[in-house]
Amino acid sequence: MSEMSAPYQQKSRFMAFHQRMAKSKPLGAFGGAVFALFLICGVFADLLAPYGLNETNMLERLQSPSFLHILGTDHLGRDVFSRILFGAQLSVIVGFMAAGLATVISIVLGVVTGYFGGRTDMLIQRFVDAWMTFPDLVLLIVVISIVGPGVTQIVVILGCLYGIAGSRIIRGSVIGIRENMYTHAAQSMGARTIHILWFHILPNVMPIVIVLFTTRVGAVILAEAGLSFLGLGVPPPAPTWGSMLSGTGRTYMYLGPWLALAPGICLTMVVYAINVYGDALRDLLDPRMRGS
Amino acid sequence: MARRSLLLSVLVVLLINHTAWAEEPQYGGNLNVGTVNVTLSPLSWDPADWTWKSNHDTGVVREQLISGDLEKSVRKGGEYPFIADAYLPTDSMRGELAESWGWENDLTLVIKLRQNVMFTAKPGVMKARHLVADDIVYSYDLINESPKRIPTYFDHIKRVYARDDHTVVFELSEYNAEWAYRFGYGYYSAISPREMEKVDRKDWRTVTGSGPFVLEKYVQANAHIYSKNDLYWDTEPLNGQQHRLPFVDKLIYRIIKDEATYLTALRTGQLDILEAIRWIAVDHLKESTPELNWNRWLATSGTFVSLRVDIKPFDDIRVRRALNLAINQQEIVDQFYGGHAELMAYPQHPGFGDYFEPLSEMPGSIQELFAYNPQKARELLDEAGVPEGFTFNMQVCSCSPSNMDLIPLLESYLRKVGINIVIQPMEYASFLSAMTTRTHSAGYLMNSGHVNPITTIRKSFVTKQTWNPSQFSDPAFDEQVRILHLTRDEKERVKILRQLTRTILEASPYIWLPIPYVHTAWWPWVKNYGGELRVGAVRPGPIYARIWIDQQMKKKMGFD
Amino acid sequence: MHTFIIRRILALLPTLIFTSIIVFASIRLIPGDVIDLMLAQNDISTGNDRAVIEAALGLDKPIYMQYFLWVGDILQGDLGRSLWQNTPVTEQLALTLPITFELGALALIVALSVAIPIGIYSAMKQDTMGDYIARSFSLLMLAIPSFWLGTLVMVFPSVWWRWAPPLQYTPFLEDPLANLAHMFVPAVLLGLSLSAVTMRMTRTMMLEVLRQDYIRTARAKGLQENIVVLRHALRNCMIPVVTLIGLQAPLLIGGAVILEQIFVVPGMGSLLLEAVFQRDYPVVTGVFLVVGVAILLINLVVDLTYGFLDPKVRH
Repeated sequence: MSEMSAPYQQKSRFMAFHQRMAKSKPLGAFGGAVFALFLICGVFADLLAPYGLNETNMLERLQSPSFLHILGTDHLGRDVFSRILFGAQLSVIVGFMAAGLATVISIVLGVVTGYFGGRTDMLIQRFVDAWMTFPDLVLLIVVISIVGPGVTQIVVILGCLYGIAGSRIIRGSVIGIRENMYTHAAQSMGARTIHILWFHILPNVMPIVIVLFTTRVGAVILAEAGLSFLGLGVPPPAPTWGSMLSGTGRTYMYLGPWLALAPGICLTMVVYAINVYGDALRDLLDPRMRGS
Repeated sequence: MARRSLLLSVLVVLLINHTAWAEEPQYGGNLNVGTVNVTLSPLSWDPADWTWKSNHDTGVVREQLISGDLEKSVRKGGEYPFIADAYLPTDSMRGELAESWGWENDLTLVIKLRQNVMFTAKPGVMKARHLVADDIVYSYDLINESPKRIPTYFDHIKRVYARDDHTVVFELSEYNAEWAYRFGYGYYSAISPREMEKVDRKDWRTVTGSGPFVLEKYVQANAHIYSKNDLYWDTEPLNGQQHRLPFVDKLIYRIIKDEATYLTALRTGQLDILEAIRWIAVDHLKESTPELNWNRWLATSGTFVSLRVDIKPFDDIRVRRALNLAINQQEIVDQFYGGHAELMAYPQHPGFGDYFEPLSEMPGSIQELFAYNPQKARELLDEAGVPEGFTFNMQVCSCSPSNMDLIPLLESYLRKVGINIVIQPMEYASFLSAMTTRTHSAGYLMNSGHVNPITTIRKSFVTKQTWNPSQFSDPAFDEQVRILHLTRDEKERVKILRQLTRTILEASPYIWLPIPYVHTAWWPWVKNYGGELRVGAVRPGPIYARIWIDQQMKKKMGFD
Repeated sequence: MHTFIIRRILALLPTLIFTSIIVFASIRLIPGDVIDLMLAQNDISTGNDRAVIEAALGLDKPIYMQYFLWVGDILQGDLGRSLWQNTPVTEQLALTLPITFELGALALIVALSVAIPIGIYSAMKQDTMGDYIARSFSLLMLAIPSFWLGTLVMVFPSVWWRWAPPLQYTPFLEDPLANLAHMFVPAVLLGLSLSAVTMRMTRTMMLEVLRQDYIRTARAKGLQENIVVLRHALRNCMIPVVTLIGLQAPLLIGGAVILEQIFVVPGMGSLLLEAVFQRDYPVVTGVFLVVGVAILLINLVVDLTYGFLDPKVRH
């Protein structure tokens, strides 16, 4: 195999996988398509948006959807469609960074504690216990009022929050796998720990990791929206869907219903799509299900 | 436009008066109110804690020496709307606990108390008994000796003592033009019985007074429930007859944090009165609930961006003026507030009578600040040596939805003259303490109450005052304010205050922003009421005592 | 089993101490402290008055002293008093805790009674139209921000039919029907939004279990499908589901903060939010502590249930 063909092969494998998904999991494939659309919007927001991010025009405020502004304009005359696109960008950034951080933390903590058990496990579990006594939202409120609201803060806090909490789930399943027959067999054959973790434990927790990651991307977008509702989300004029929905969307609900509908539908659809896609991925990726 | 709405309101008043004559008032029923502070829970029940909200929370229980005379309200054919934050024009005052008052000499104020005032019984606190002069002395000492007092607030008072059971004497060390506000009808003027000394005053169960209602129950973050005080002394003349007060059995202040929720509560009749509604919701409410009665009033707090004059480049008046020129205030009035706002109504409020000088009568150099002129703004920035513009932080309280909406607009105006702002939303406590500890940023978008004509100038522009976010400081200005307090002649005070107001507008320590109108709505079964808000310092007690509920009408309209 | 339980309970102690330190310290790191908020009422702040108030509140002592005094009081059942209202924190908790607990319990009932049937159904009818519809419903409930759904449920019926859920709290013992009428809508919304996570986990585990050998064997033995599912599969997939219920306890409280806000439920979420905003240290630390202990206990129960469901974990 030449080096040149590797990416090609990888790509085709990716395509083949999704073709398979489209056939056997149409709902998941639909979710995946929405998710892809969301990613494209996020990545190319600057090119796609017809108007600037904060281009106010008070004379064109609160216009209902029209040819010029396909999703209407908001209370400051900004184009809602453009802000939705930039909102997608922000959601992609915040969602992926926080969920990525959370997943890494979950895997490291969960696999280490679940597999090795013993004293390390006990110690880390006490830390996890203590951490999990903080209700998310309250911890967010407290920490954000210390460090001030902003993208980085939200990513780090949510990443730690979900990561540490999620490690419990992974640990639970690692314990189950560890006790499983074939790991015992591998251990008795004298395989190295790294080898066992990599080839036996990790593939087996992958479905759960994927479910966790997808849930977290959605959960982060939702959590940011909740924070916006309490006035502690990403500060204006950043166009997060959460703040568009909880702020102007709710305030101008009567004068301009489209102000709430657009971000509300986008937020709900994306979170929903990510979830069904994640579920489908899980169904297809689970090694124990491949043969059956 | 203003004239037409005036005519209309006179017409409405006539109509209401007419119906008031035709109907016999009824006793009973519950009155559910979403007050101007519907989103806020009480802070403290203790008068010694000096919280600004105390009158709002306990002002239906604790009375004061002076209140507003509702017989002189616009609704009853008088000239006072009783909307102002904490200002009673001299002629609108009425003795509440005081039957009368007079000056024995230049510095001795003698107050005669009413004979028929009873404190209610309160388990664990006291049995019912008559009010005596010692209670006034006790209440004054309680407030004045608190470590949380505003220093200098009562410095004009040398001594307070009881001459006999129903005579209280205030000996002053110097005249203070605000004497009636400071311990007559002000924020810190509540009268409690002496028995409060022995009990835990912070506990809501100990709140005791002589007012129309008794605090029966307080559910945190949900409601204050007051019940009728059968011993209340005051009466209401209606249809040529005196009626005992209060009319309703229960008065319930609802605490609702979310705007959509309290609007819904009004629409479904769960609130009888909602005192503060933003213009945005008004049209829709009128459409979906046409039965509601309405009153529109100009907000009693100013909105502005404070610019710290002790931080560069805002030490340069040209920069501060440039920022005012860069903001299109007229567009904010017309578009952002949909016309429901006044261009200039701060620091003085149009409701302050002669103290308020309309923008049209002010010199051109002040009028200019309210006209949009980005070209001149750039020139001024050039002159001040910042032609490239600059970036500064602007803090805003996330607790104010209106300011959160407004701030991106300010950002875009300023961007057009090359100035960038970094927006920093903060929650209430951090936001407020940033100012009180003077650690707030160069820009600070806030609201500050008009209070009354003198206080609005003193608290915000005198050196080192807490509520002086721009850190404005001018010895000549301070001296004028001192003289103002010593001035007995009201005409003279008007003159001084008008000058001080001009001076401060001119100096532009703030970016002056328009002041929006707010709406009050109530269901038609709420009788003997016309949208009055306060007869003291954020104190609505006597207003609610006079309201009666037409229970048949309420039932007929499908609510029970 | 006994040693397992004792070991677990002993393990709680360090966690508790750890939790209490973090809670106690974190609230005091916030810039706006309570004295400033109280002094903000005053027109002029002076150093003197500040010291007087600090002394009165015990905030003048070094922070570690405050901590030890606090812990000492807790051990005597005293959580301190609200700095603003002077009400004992225990009293405020006694009033608000049952309300949030009721909301949470109702929500959990709603969540489980939606999630488990849908999860099982979806697993058994994998990739059919029924599976998609059932799952989509549950996932959509997860995907809609609760404040938005809450607002819609609040606003539109009131515009269309002039109906809204009652917004006045009535204690359960005073009038159970009025109480439930008030709690019903927020509980359903909270429950629905939480159902998706449990539903998904039930479905995932169910699918896994359904493929396993012993189920196949059981099926092959000719046992009826339903009995197979209930007896074997359900019991096995309960392990992660139970974990998840444990994990949802903080979520319930978190979700309750927002819904309590919208539906005017005077529960712990409201108390906590208000206390955080007012810097009412004793209230915040008290609520944190109680929530912390409650969640630790729930997790203890979860761990014990683990041990009960899966004997291998005990060792």
